[in-house]
Amino acid sequence: MKTTYLFILFLIVVAAQIIVPTHMIFNREDVLNTGIAYKFKTKPIDPSDPFRGKYITLNFEVDQYITEDTTWVRDEVIYVYLDIDSLGFAEVNKISKEILPDIDKDFVEAKVNWYAGYSKELNIDFPFNRFYMEESKAYTAEVVVRENLRDSLLQNVYALVYVKEGESVLKDVIIDDIPIKDYVEQNELENE
Amino acid sequence: MNSKIQNDIKELVEQQVISQEVASSIEAFYQSKKVNTPNRLFTVFGVLGSILVGLGIILILAHNWDNFSKIVKTFFAFSPLLIGQFLVGFSILKDKSKTWKEASGTFLFFAVGASISLVSQIYNIPGDISSFLLTWILLCVPLVYLLKSNALAIIHIVFMTYYGVEYGYNFLSTSDTPWFYLLLLALVLPYYKQLLKFKLDTNITSILNWLLPLSLIIVLGAFVETVSVLGVLMYVILFGLFYNIGKLPIFNNQKLRRNGYLILGSLGTVYMLMLTSFKWMWNDLLRVELVYNSQEFFITLLLFLIALGVLAYLLSKKFVVKYNVIHYAFIIFTMVFFVGLNSQIIPTVLINLLVLIIALVTIKVGADKFHFGILNYGLLIITILITCRFFDTNMSFVLRGILFVGIGLGFFLTNYIMLKRQKRRNLK
Repeated sequence: MKTTYLFILFLIVVAAQIIVPTHMIFNREDVLNTGIAYKFKTKPIDPSDPFRGKYITLNFEVDQYITEDTTWVRDEVIYVYLDIDSLGFAEVNKISKEILPDIDKDFVEAKVNWYAGYSKELNIDFPFNRFYMEESKAYTAEVVVRENLRDSLLQNVYALVYVKEGESVLKDVIIDDIPIKDYVEQNELENE
Repeated sequence: MNSKIQNDIKELVEQQVISQEVASSIEAFYQSKKVNTPNRLFTVFGVLGSILVGLGIILILAHNWDNFSKIVKTFFAFSPLLIGQFLVGFSILKDKSKTWKEASGTFLFFAVGASISLVSQIYNIPGDISSFLLTWILLCVPLVYLLKSNALAIIHIVFMTYYGVEYGYNFLSTSDTPWFYLLLLALVLPYYKQLLKFKLDTNITSILNWLLPLSLIIVLGAFVETVSVLGVLMYVILFGLFYNIGKLPIFNNQKLRRNGYLILGSLGTVYMLMLTSFKWMWNDLLRVELVYNSQEFFITLLLFLIALGVLAYLLSKKFVVKYNVIHYAFIIFTMVFFVGLNSQIIPTVLINLLVLIIALVTIKVGADKFHFGILNYGLLIITILITCRFFDTNMSFVLRGILFVGIGLGFFLTNYIMLKRQKRRNLK
C-alpha cells in the first residue's frame, strides 16, 4: 500500500520532470512555426557555461534606444515593438512598459539592461542573445567575425529571430547568407 | 564483524575474563547486527558512480553536437531522463535496497539537469545559470523524500548553495537577493528534522550538521545589497546563533567533531571579533551610512531575534555555563555596534576586551573539563589577539618580544600544570 502511494507520488514527479523540458520545446516550436522572422544585426563574442557548454553572446546594433523617459529600472520587463528598415533588418519602433493594445506591430518581451541619463540611451537586454555552438567552433566564430568586421568585408551578420506575441526564439546566426556553423567550417577549410 | 573485536574476544577468553559461551553469544550478536546493516561502501561507490556518469553525460551533451538534427538531439535530451526515471521507479516499486535508491536517485538528478540543459541548447534559451539551477533543483526535491535519499539531500544542499552564490554574488553588476534560497532551504529542513529525530548518531546527520551551517555562512552575504555596514553585524549574529544551536543538548551531547554548529559558531565568532578589533575596521564602518528601513536591517533583526530565542531557551533549561561570554557575544557586539557607530575608539577597546574575556573563559572551561584542546584554543585566541594588536599599536620591539615570550611560557605552564593535575586526579 505504502509502495503504491510512493509510486504514485513519484509518477507526479516524473510527469513534472518531463513536462518542464517538453513545455520548453513546444513553446519554442510554436514560435518557430507560426512566428514572424526578424533579422537583428549582430556581433558575436564567445563565453561558456559550465553545464550547457560553449555559446556565443550576441551584441545587437539595435540594443540602444533613445528616450526622454528616465524611469527605467534594471531588469524591469519591457515590450520592444519592431519595424523593418529599408535593408530588411529589424529596428526598434517603440518601447513600452506595458503591452500596447492599439499598435499593430510585432513585439518581443525584453529587459532593461541600464539607462544612461547623460546620453538618454536605454540599453535593452534581449532574451535571444545567446547562441549555443559546438565547443570547437564558438571561439573560431568570434575570431572570424571580428576579423572580417574589422576588414569591413562583412556587412551581413545577423541573428534570425522568430517572434510571436512577445515570445522570441533565436533560430540561427547568419553570416553572408549562410548559417554561422557552416561559415566557420568553410573558413577552417580555407585556412588549412 | 571486524577482526579487532574478534581478536579482543579471543584474548578475553584466553585470559579467562569471559567464558567460551559468552564469547560465542557476543559473536552471534555481531553477526546478526551485520546482516541488518546494508553494505555502506557499496552505496557510497554507487552514488559516486552515478554522480560521475551523470556529470559525464552533461559534459558530453555540452559539446553541442551541431551535426545532429533537432530530433536526434531531443532524443538524447530525454533518454537519460527516461532511463533515470525508470530506474528510480523500479527501485520504488520493488522496494529495492538503499544502494539502489541512492544510486538511481543521484543519476536521475543529473539526468534532469542534462535534459533541461540540452533543451536550452537546442532552442538557444538564454536564461542565466541561476534560473536553470533553480528549475533543476525544484524538479528534484521530491526525490529526496520519495527515496529517503541521503545522497540527494547532500546534493540538494550543495546545489542550493551554488544557486545562492550564483544568483546573489554578482561581481560585474548589481547583485540580487536570492530569496528562493530560503525556499530551497525550507524544503530540505523536514528531511533534516527526521534525521535528527530518528538517526541522530549516523554519519549523514553529522555531515548535514556541517553542511547546513556552512551553506548559510556562504550565502548570507548575498542578502547584503546596499547597506554593507550591516553585513558585519549579520555575520556576528549568525555565528552567535550557530554557537547557541550547537549548545542545544541534541548537538552538545554528541562528539565535538559531529557538532558543526558549535565549531563553526565559535571559530566564526572569534574571527569576526578579531576583524572588528582593528581600528581601521570601524573607520570603514563609520564611513557608510546606516539605513534602518532596509532589507539588511530586517534580516539582521530577524536573525537577532532567533538567536535570542535559542539563547533564552538554553538559559531557561539551564544548559548554559553562566559565565561563558561567547553565548552572549552577539548581544554584546550588537550593542557595541550601535553605540560604537559614533566613535572608533570605544568599540575597538570594548571588542578587544570582549575577545580577551572569551579567551580567558575558554581557558577556564578547558581547565575545568581537563580538555587540552579547549585550553589551547583559548590560549591561541589570546596569541592571535596580541599578534593583531602589533599591527596597529606603536609598541617598542622589546615590549613585543617580552609579550611573545610571556605568551609562549603561558602555553608551556598551563599545559604542564594541567597535565600534572590530571595525573594527580588519575592517581586518586
